[in-house]
Amino acid sequence: MSDRIFGGFGVLLAVFYAWAALQTEESFLSDAVGPKAFPVIIAIILGLSSAVIALRPDPEPVWPPLARLAEIGAAAVVMILYAQFLPEAGFIIATALAAMYLTWRLGSPVVQSVVIGALTALVIYIIFHAVLGLSLARGPLDAYVDTVVDPVLGAIGAFFEMFGGSGADEAAPEATGATGAGD
Amino acid sequence: MDLWANLYGGFEIALTWQNLGLALLGCFLGTIMGALPGLGPSNGVAILIPLAFTLGLDATSSLILLTAVYYGAMYGGRISSILLNIPGDEPAMMTCLDGYPMARKGMAGEALALSGIASFVGAFLATWGLILLAPQLVKLALLFGPAEYFALFALAFATLGGVSSTNQAKSAFAAMLGLGLAMIGVDTQTGVPRLTFGEVHLYDGLDFLVAIVGLFALSEVFVFLEHRHGSADAEESKVKVGRIVPPMPMVIKTIPTMLRTSFLGFVAGVLPGAGASLGSFISYSMEKKLVDKEGTFGTGDPRGVAAPEAGNNAAAGGALVPMLALGVPGSGTTAVLLAVLLSLNITPGPLLFQNNPDVVWGLIAALFIGNLMLLAMNIPMVGLFTRVLLIPPRILMPVVAMVSFVGIYGISGSSFDLLVMIAFGLAGWILRKLDVPLVPVILGTLLGNTMENNLRRAVTIDNGNWWTLVDSPLAITLWAIAIAGFILPVFVGKVVKARMQRRDEEGSLSD
Amino acid sequence: MKTSIIRAAMAVAALGLAGTAHAESHGFSPENPECIAPANPGGGWDFTCRQVGKSLQDQGLIEKTMQVVNLAGGGGGVAFAEVVNKRGDDNDLIVAASSATATRLAQGAYPGNTMDQVRWLASIGADYGVIAVAADSEITTLPALLDAIKSDPASISVAGGSAVGGWDHLKVLIAANAYGIEDVRSVKYIAFDGGGEAVTQLLAGSVQAFTGDISEAKGFVDSGDIKVIAVLAPERLGGEFSEMPTAKEQGVDAIGANWRGFYAPAGMSDEAYDAWVSKIADLYASDEWKEIMAANGLAPLDLQGADFQNFVSDSVAQIQSISKEIGIIK
Repeated sequence: MSDRIFGGFGVLLAVFYAWAALQTEESFLSDAVGPKAFPVIIAIILGLSSAVIALRPDPEPVWPPLARLAEIGAAAVVMILYAQFLPEAGFIIATALAAMYLTWRLGSPVVQSVVIGALTALVIYIIFHAVLGLSLARGPLDAYVDTVVDPVLGAIGAFFEMFGGSGADEAAPEATGATGAGD
Repeated sequence: MDLWANLYGGFEIALTWQNLGLALLGCFLGTIMGALPGLGPSNGVAILIPLAFTLGLDATSSLILLTAVYYGAMYGGRISSILLNIPGDEPAMMTCLDGYPMARKGMAGEALALSGIASFVGAFLATWGLILLAPQLVKLALLFGPAEYFALFALAFATLGGVSSTNQAKSAFAAMLGLGLAMIGVDTQTGVPRLTFGEVHLYDGLDFLVAIVGLFALSEVFVFLEHRHGSADAEESKVKVGRIVPPMPMVIKTIPTMLRTSFLGFVAGVLPGAGASLGSFISYSMEKKLVDKEGTFGTGDPRGVAAPEAGNNAAAGGALVPMLALGVPGSGTTAVLLAVLLSLNITPGPLLFQNNPDVVWGLIAALFIGNLMLLAMNIPMVGLFTRVLLIPPRILMPVVAMVSFVGIYGISGSSFDLLVMIAFGLAGWILRKLDVPLVPVILGTLLGNTMENNLRRAVTIDNGNWWTLVDSPLAITLWAIAIAGFILPVFVGKVVKARMQRRDEEGSLSD
Repeated sequence: MKTSIIRAAMAVAALGLAGTAHAESHGFSPENPECIAPANPGGGWDFTCRQVGKSLQDQGLIEKTMQVVNLAGGGGGVAFAEVVNKRGDDNDLIVAASSATATRLAQGAYPGNTMDQVRWLASIGADYGVIAVAADSEITTLPALLDAIKSDPASISVAGGSAVGGWDHLKVLIAANAYGIEDVRSVKYIAFDGGGEAVTQLLAGSVQAFTGDISEAKGFVDSGDIKVIAVLAPERLGGEFSEMPTAKEQGVDAIGANWRGFYAPAGMSDEAYDAWVSKIADLYASDEWKEIMAANGLAPLDLQGADFQNFVSDSVAQIQSISKEIGIIK
């Protein structure tokens, strides 16, 4: 039955897709094929394969009970909230909270979840932000973490400088200060 | 001989303490970035460009650092594929198909070590290919006009059936879903927005990294949530991680596979616009068609691990050919490398080998060195990697989820991308439930735009005549293989299907 | 603040440099100089940011390393909107721009944005357009090519690296227009992903002509694979490019220069604006930059401050009128 519903949904999707593709406003100058042809071809094959799925269904998959579905839905909601509040709350707080929730729901005791969640956020922050240098959302806590992390980085920076070969040994600590106190 | 003198000169350039240090650093950072979902070779290289500039490195040293990252990421991608069933980057997608089942069978150590060796073989042979064949291979790239590229992509999709699913209709559905998603955004040919519903965030289309991380990593988290009290709790069941060194017979048995797929992957890499993902994909599906007589591919066959890894690492080497010799990047990563070369005042092109031999041969020597380092680094670290499996999923899965979010957010800085990723995660969970393979979805999003553009270029060049698609011997050959690849499984489908059914009952985890 | 090994290393390197080359003293000096390249790494904008950032630092014109941020999307529109909406008063920020930016502004391809919403800083050179054919092509002059297009538009496919209606396409249309081809829309243009790919397809024989920039064609001209039949410059270029005939001397009055330069947020203080303008002017005047321009086939285009502002507004107006004429916009 699932496959029949799925196939039916696929056919509807294909129809909708073809309709949406045909809404494309063509510009004055176009090529011989135009921007609509390929999407329409896709929609046709999508519709055909969906029809086949509906007509020749596979054995029924095992769907989880409603409680489990709710669990998945709740996790998705938490993730959506995470995505929304990440830019405001800053990386560490948002990530720690989200990781705590997921750890808890996957079966860890509450206290353990809190510790694991916080550690997860901290370790990821150090790897991505400090080691790989990606810019992550900044929040109230991040500055404190940086003051701890920075001296270590300064030392590593000095290590790199040895490769660079301009022999700025005494410049390294200053550089750390510069990045730490920057903005 | 000229070659040896050049190579010797290259090693003289590359074998300084500074360059060796840079290669080591690059290999290490690259492996990490490759293994983390969301960060792949192309953004890995891009992230480290400032480092190369600020260290004031000359052209050769910069290239050594950045290609070490590139090769490192190609190695690293397989780690999370095998251990977590989550591809660390897009070329490692195919490694999930047999790597993860191997890990489930308690052979994670063997799978990691074997794939490390396969990666080495692929990259090593590709580097020789680069040295010996670059000028001739450029001519191969010139045989491929838009019509031939379109046929090549059609071939990739036609051979999909049976590779990742037992149900051809579902494979086709997944492929079309991926292609359909790729169409979203501003049409690169005419500049009009398509299927964006006025949403500005969609103008640039969906990033395939968002798709891949959502479909694979997040859906894995949802699967664990679903089975919280089920078999997923690894704490009770004793995890076997397998041996750190693969048994000799297993290595020997996979050698022919590695050689064949290195060749295929290399050729796919040389063609600009095909790239490493197509290399690993074609390697896997061709190898399966060729040697999978017992239907063990997809259930943890060592050859199914060796094939894509040799293929994608060879493709990474192959992709350097058009970049150096034509100035045309064959993949996202080589596009970034090309930018680096340009900003160092080196113009890749037909004359690069004559004008800047030190850069070319230094780079080639660096590839050999980096590759050896990666092998030396990866085999002993297999034991360390497999420890990941000992972490219970209730801790590991939230980490995976958060790493996925950070990987995507750190690159794009966009909450919208995160929402799209969650949607992909939920869709991935439903598709897995319905036994719809995810690999074709990714392949579709990855190749969709190039495929469409080549179709439109070909037809436009021939003034609207669609028959131009089958107008050259090469195109006809590719179509013939594509059709054979599509039809054959239908004919022998009955036999295979019965076998697959048995496999499914044993509780396979194809993806 | 963005702390990282990279930043730490940058700061280290910057301090090392500051010791040797002393920074130029202007009233304003950017704390954290940043250049937005409105595209992924690898394109012309990215090159502009990185090359200028590197040269400014090499010459001690800025103290810290220029941080290059790639903000791709909407053909530069995402970056433009970001600068207008969110970074409107940032004194440390410059953004790479080129004729492509002007083209899109002219054609209204950045919804709701106009060129007056930012301050235009200075140009760093121009890349004149070229029209080229394969070395073994029977066509050897621009009029011959345009005649062939005139008599049978379907027989000649012209490849370029921009989308339909983009700058590469416009260049060949400008030439066709100047030659008296009535319906320029009949010119068959094939869009590729960048000039490199377009040249490759010229070599492969899939297309008959190539329209692009000198820098894209240079490597293949040197190797003898393609020949340039026209440079869309007012007069012949210097040095190794002097062999290439201009369109003008062949009787086709068409000029197409892809300039490269920078804009800055509208709210940038006058002090900062002047400092940036003079830094880029100093850079432009340096011998090092002359070498970089020569190596990359960049021709002189020396415009700063108000001059540049006027130049951009003229070129937007010009593109607007061409686009209207050939029917890309209404």
